[in-house]
Order: sequence, then C-alpha cells, then structure tokens
Amino acid sequence: MSDVLLEVKDLKKYYKVPKGMLHAVDGVSFDLEKGKTLGIVGESGCGKTTIGRAILRLVEPTSGSVIFDGVDIPKLNKQEMRHMRRNMQLIFQDPFSSLNPRKTITQTIEEPIILANMIPDPDKRFMRVMELMDTVGLAERLVNTYPHELDGGRRQRIGIARALAMSPKFIICDEPVSALDVSIQAQILNLMKKIQREMGLTYIFITHNLAVVNHFSDDIAVMYLGRLIEKAPSEALFANPLHPYTQALLSAIPVPRIHNRPERLLLRGEITSPINPEPICRFANRCNYAKPVCSQEEPSLIEIEPNHFVACHLTGRG
Amino acid sequence: MEIKQINEQENTLEIKNLVIHYISDEEVVKAVNGVNIIIKAGKTLGLVGETGAGKTTTALSILNLVPEPQGKILSGEILLEGRSVLAMSELELEVIRGDKVAMIFQDPMTSLNPVHTVGDQIAESIEIHRKVSKQEALKQAKEMLELVGIPSERSNEYPYQFSGGMKQRVVIAIALTCSPDLLIADEPTTALDVTIQAQVLRLINELRQKYHMSMLMITHDLGIVAEVCDEVSIAYAGRIIEHGSLEDIFDHMRHPYTKGLFDALPDIGTRRSELKPIKGLMPDPTNLPSGCPFHPRCDYVMEVCSQSLPENKWLSETHCVECHLYSDTNESML
Amino acid sequence: MDETVKKYTTRKEFFKQYKKKSRLQETWNRFLRNKLAVIGLFIFIFIMLAAVAAPLIANYDTDAITINVPNRLQSPSAGHIFGTDELGRDIMARIVHGARISLVVGFAAVALALFIGGALGAIAGYFGGKIDEVIMRCMDVFLCLPDVLLALAIVAAFGTNLVNMTIAIGLSFTPKFSRVVRSAVMTVRGIEYVEAARAIGANNTQIITNHVLINCFGPIVVQVTLYVASAILTISALSFIGLGIQAPIPEWGNMLASGRVYMRDHAYIVMAPGLAIFVTILSLNLLGDGLRDALDPRLK
Repeated sequence: MSDVLLEVKDLKKYYKVPKGMLHAVDGVSFDLEKGKTLGIVGESGCGKTTIGRAILRLVEPTSGSVIFDGVDIPKLNKQEMRHMRRNMQLIFQDPFSSLNPRKTITQTIEEPIILANMIPDPDKRFMRVMELMDTVGLAERLVNTYPHELDGGRRQRIGIARALAMSPKFIICDEPVSALDVSIQAQILNLMKKIQREMGLTYIFITHNLAVVNHFSDDIAVMYLGRLIEKAPSEALFANPLHPYTQALLSAIPVPRIHNRPERLLLRGEITSPINPEPICRFANRCNYAKPVCSQEEPSLIEIEPNHFVACHLTGRG
Repeated sequence: MEIKQINEQENTLEIKNLVIHYISDEEVVKAVNGVNIIIKAGKTLGLVGETGAGKTTTALSILNLVPEPQGKILSGEILLEGRSVLAMSELELEVIRGDKVAMIFQDPMTSLNPVHTVGDQIAESIEIHRKVSKQEALKQAKEMLELVGIPSERSNEYPYQFSGGMKQRVVIAIALTCSPDLLIADEPTTALDVTIQAQVLRLINELRQKYHMSMLMITHDLGIVAEVCDEVSIAYAGRIIEHGSLEDIFDHMRHPYTKGLFDALPDIGTRRSELKPIKGLMPDPTNLPSGCPFHPRCDYVMEVCSQSLPENKWLSETHCVECHLYSDTNESML
Repeated sequence: MDETVKKYTTRKEFFKQYKKKSRLQETWNRFLRNKLAVIGLFIFIFIMLAAVAAPLIANYDTDAITINVPNRLQSPSAGHIFGTDELGRDIMARIVHGARISLVVGFAAVALALFIGGALGAIAGYFGGKIDEVIMRCMDVFLCLPDVLLALAIVAAFGTNLVNMTIAIGLSFTPKFSRVVRSAVMTVRGIEYVEAARAIGANNTQIITNHVLINCFGPIVVQVTLYVASAILTISALSFIGLGIQAPIPEWGNMLASGRVYMRDHAYIVMAPGLAIFVTILSLNLLGDGLRDALDPRLK
C-alpha cells in the first residue's frame, strides 16, 4: 500500500487582473509519497513558485484540494492552519531577503519554536538551536551574528535550520540554491540530501535548473503556463522525454562538455499570456510538431507508461 | 601571470597586470589583483569565475568605467588594438564606447530606458557614432531589430512591452549597431529562462561569426563557455589562475579550483549519489588569504601554498596555470 | 557538540562568550564619519541644553517677562548679550525660554503625529486593499490643506494656548507621517522574511511587531528630525502672524513680529530670534541628513 503523504487534486490559483483572470496555477494534480522528492521544473510564468505557496496556503488556493496526511489543508481554519504549519515548511530562494536583518541567527532559528510554544524553557530551547546549527553545519561561534555578516551559503543554512526547527515532515524548497555560487551549491544540496535521509523528510524541490533537479529528485513534474504537462521518474524523464516542451527544455541546458554535445532543439515564438487562456494546448503556438487538434482541444494528463504522465495530443489520446 | 604574445596587431584586447581596488573609509576591497588577458582578433574568450573573482570590475575597466571615487586602478595596462585605454581622455573614450567596444550587461530589465522606444534607443547609438540624420538612424535601427529576430514594426514600442528575452535581444542590437571590434558580454543570459538563453546564445554566436567580432564572455556557467567560447580564463580572487583553449580546460584541466568547479557541477549524464563540492567559502576580497588565495580550500595544499603566490607556468603554447603543484621545483609532481 | 553542552549550560553563559556585534555601534560609527552631521548634532545638543537650563541662565519673570521700559532698545552689551527689546526685556533670556517652548511643542506635536499617523499608516500599508484606500483618502483630505492653514483653523476655533497649538500642528503632520510609515511598511511587507514568518506560523500582530516595524525605523527616524524642524518653523510662523503663542510669553516667532518695526535702527532685536530659528532648523536638517546616511542599509 502506498505511503502517500501529499495528494494535490486539481489545484487552481487565479488572480484577478484588469484584463481578466490570470491563471497562475490551472488544475494541477499529483501524489507524493513519504520520504520521496518531487522536483517541479519550469521557466518563468509556469506557476511553480505559486503552486508551492498555494500548497502551504501562503496564498489561498482558488479551488482544489491539498490533502496532507489525510487532512484537507484549504479547509482548515486559521487556528488549525497555524498548528498544521509545524508539519510543512518552506525554504526560500533568496538567502539575502529571506532572513530578518535585525535578528541574530539564534533569534531567527528559535522564532518558530517560540511561536509554536514547543520548548518553553529558554535554555533547553537554546540547546535545540545549537543542535539545529550543528545539523546544518553552522559553527557555534556564529550564534550572535547577523545575516549581513555572513555569505550566501551560510545564510541559506540558517534558512534550512529555521525550516527544520519544528521538526516538519514535509519541506518545499523554492530554488534553494539558485542564488548561490556553484561551488557552494553542491555543499547545500549534499546537506539537504543528508538531512532528508536522517530525518525521513519529504521534499518538493522547485527549480528551473534541470541538471540540479535530476541529481536531487525521485520524480520530476514539468510545468508550463500553470499546467502540469509531464511527470515521470527522473531517469525516465531524462531518458525519454515525451512532451515537446520537455524535449526542448532538456536540450536547452548548456552542457559543460566539448565532446558529444547534444543537438539543440530550439523553440520558436514566445510564451502565450496566462490571462484568460483558451482551452487549447497552451504550448501549440511554439510547438514544432503541432497538429490541428492542438489548437482546438486542451490535452489532459494521461499515464502513457507506468508512472509516466504526459499532457499532449501527440502521444496517444490527449 | 604573463601571457605570451605573438603579434600585437592580432590582439584586439590586451590586459597586463591589472590591479584594481575599491578603497573606502571602512575597508579596501581587492577586486582585481594582477589580471592578464589577451583576446585575439575574431576570437571569444570566456572569463569564468564566481562571486568575488573580479570579472565585472575587469570588464568595466576596459572602457574605464570602474565606479569612482572608490574604484582605483592601481597599476596595469589595458591595450585596445594597441592603444592604451587608461591614457585616453574622456572624449576619446566616448568615441570608442559603443563604437569600437560595446558592452551588454546581465539584467535586461534595467539596461533599457523605459521612457524611450526601442527604436530610439538603437538609433541613439547610431546617431552618436555615425554622422547620419535621425531618419536614417531610425531606418538602420529597424534593420538591426530584424537582425536580432524582432519584427521591425515593433521599433515604436517601449521596453515594457517586450519579454526578458526580447529585451536582451534589443540590448544586443544596440551593442552591435556600430559593428564593434570587441563585444563585452557580462553574464548576458543569466537572468533569462533556459530555453530563451539557448535562443540568445545562438543569436550571439551567429552574429559574432558574421561580424568577425572578438568577444569577452563573462560567465560562471561552464556550459555556456563550451557553447560559445574559443579560449577560457578561470578567475579566482582577482587573479587568472588558469588559461587555455577549450580543450586545455575541459579535457586537461590542471588547477585544483578548475577541477573543483567541474566536479561540483551536476551533470545530466550521470546521476551520482553525492555532488563533490569545493569545501570552504569564497574568499573575502577585503581579507584575502596569504599566498595562493585558493589554498584554504584546496585538497592538494602544501606548505608553500600559504607562504607565497604561485608563479605562472606555461604547460603548452596555449595552456598556462598558476599553482605550486606545477611550479618548476615541483616538476616531479606532474 | 557534547563538550559544548557541558561547557555552557545556559544560553546566558554562551552569549557572554560570543557577544553580539552591535548594529547601533556600527551605525553610530558611520554617523560620526559625517562631519556636517556631527556639527548638527552638537549644535542641537547645545540648543537643548540651553533650553533645559533656561531658568538657570535667566530668570523667567524678572528677565523675560517683566517690562522694564527705561531699559528698552539697548544694544548688545556685557549685561545683555543680545540687547533688550522694545519693552526692556533681556533678549537672551527670552531666546532661551522661547527655545523651551519651540522644542517642547515641536517634539510633542511630532510625537502625536507619529503615534496617530504612524498607526494609521502601518495598518494601511500592511493590510492594503480597501483598508488602505479608506485610510489614505481620509489622509488625503488633510493633505490638501497647507500645514499652517490647518493649524490656523484649529487654533482659531479653539483658542491659542500651548496645548491647542501642539494638537493643531500634530494633526496637520499626521497625514505626512502616515504616508512615510505606510510606504516603509509596504516595502518591508513585500520582503521574503515576512513571508517566512507567516510560514512558521506567526499571526499578523506578531509579524507587524517582530518583523515589519523594527525594520522601518530608519526612514521614520529621519523623518522625525526633519518634521521637528518643520514644526518649529510652523510654530514660529503662527506666532509671527499673531495666531500662535501670545505675548508676553517669549517665542521666537512673536519676537520677530513685535521687533519688526524696530528692525532698521535696532537690527539685533530681530537678528537674535531669526538666527535662533535658522540655527535650530539647520542643525536638525544636518542631523536628519546624517542619520539618513548612517542608517542607509548599505549592508548586504
């Protein structure tokens, strides 16, 4: 029996804008098993950041359900939601703006513990902070330093420690290493993997960097203009990308090799507007394989191979 | 680090022993500490480095645009087709900027003036450097737009009406209007989505071949280097610690930092259980380590590394490295 | 790690070992490097001390208030440093006592404006939407009126005493403060660490107090100094036209008004209060500029 921790069903987030409705997230569904990592990839405007926020109810979903450990998140009231937040945390992208510049490391890491009233005794609480700092690799002498005294890598470790403070089961990582230097990125990624193993965490890893997500995720979901257009285990996705967008995305990654360079599949045109989108395949205008049906009907997500889902008219019945 | 030169006229750009520090009341930021660069005519050099390597400062200095009063060029020479940039007057520099040497920056959002149409902005460069009428300039501007893949009808539109990728194309159009001899591109695609990046890189490649331009491509992404560059210089803490052709660097890398950079990259081809990061932190430009700036993070560190700066050593005609592992006294280590 | 636990069992001990780098210290150091700002600070402290020590410098009743006609219009001398005015009163005495009034009303008015305007601005800026609209439109109504006019209206309606003046000027500055605080709050509200606070379960009150307001101090502090200067100017203006502090209470503005007639032959009679106003405003402005530069988050 599968151990599904998170079930997202037809999640939608629309924003009202002067020109109409902006479909930031437009009916996304997936399951996530305990202890696994789901990578969500896509480019600007695909909705990956919004979906992370919507799952945690940092923005209110317009419709759809998010069932976490059997509980439908959007249906909880304020009290219950605050309590639920202990189980689901977020690691932010920008290590510079995600930390309050007026709080020391200790204050930042212990704030969630204080808010949840988990350890009332200050000394015991401080021990927990020290423990967390040790877990993420921050030296003890940094207890009273401010974020501006530290570099990006260390700041991101603080963000991770803060996310771990309440011992959550689930963490959404929103581009956690994109703002860091390459040599530091690897340090942080290794750390996150280690923590996942030791604490049995479940991750959603949001990024635009496909090389990183392959290294880090069990399954990968590709988003385009608010919709989930392909989802598969990492090896399967890289070995056999079915959706034309996924193929273009993979081929677009600059490869640090000078021999055996892959062929580049270039897309034409520009991404269409997410405002009042038509019920057709949103990728059709840029697709090199578009058929008439693509501009008439919206393809739905279908399991083409075991665990490999695609939303495309070309791969069988869309 | 010294670079051998064959024929001065063949080199579009030569930088010798450049030292630039930012001096303020509180601290001295040692951004560039003896950089040597040569870009041959028609070739592209990739300047690779992470934060604090001094890449942008070096690029700005080529056009004498290092922010004053804090930025001070303490020593060194910058020769543009044989002429010294640092000796030029402001007037002479204005003639060169945009004409002989063009620069494109990382963020297309802020590179364009929001209150002028894109056509006007491209035409501005033409009007400054060529003695033509406004109408003629606008006509040429439209041609440039087509060249970068934007329909010329859009020349009357404002920057906000374009996406990030298209804005960057406009920026490239502005840079190329006067067919510069040298194009300096400072992380031109970092702010763009990966599929757009692919398009823009292809455009840059086509245009540089068409115009036989020399190019300085500043980036931290080795994938981009493999895509567009002929030669590579690896920068660390304001020094060039390794330089060579694409093959030299990608197939025969020598410096431990270069090796570390490659190892730290997740390669789509292989899925390892753990990435191999470079331990430690980026060096603090206000407080650089003694001796070789990389020694605190180096897996091959020796005693001499913390005591003195390694000298430049030529491993082949094209490949040189600054590292004690390869110094003359350590020949046996090779 | 276990060793550490044994070494320091309480966080107090640990904090003693690794002290906090004081941000205040850093800001203060930066401030000190700005020479003009330091000059402004010194001048202002001097004026404050003069105001505080006014009764020690000159007796209020005998020197500042009591009319002494035979002594009138004396040029500056050893006995009277700034001379005497048209009613024989010692100008210096009147200046230092006048300073008290200017400073007290100035600070009190700004404090009132900060309290009310700040609260309204913070609420408008944090919650946005309709709440923001309603509050800001109310503030706009008041902004339409020039400060002096609004203060005038209140004073004319309710009488010219110190309390009314304070309230009048305070209310006229309230909309300005609300705007400053609102924009500071809006800027901070959009920064990720506020979202992070929400993610760890903080409610709105906790977010506003712990995260938003403490990061807004910079621009607010600067505005305070500049508005105090403005308030003092407004008081003097009102007193000058006769709708502020009334004679015989010494106030720089009314001293200017009553001394105006004698300006040609006895310039000192207006120079003293004029200079007092000028120097006070100048020092506050230098101080405000210096604070702005020192508090500038040039930190990464």
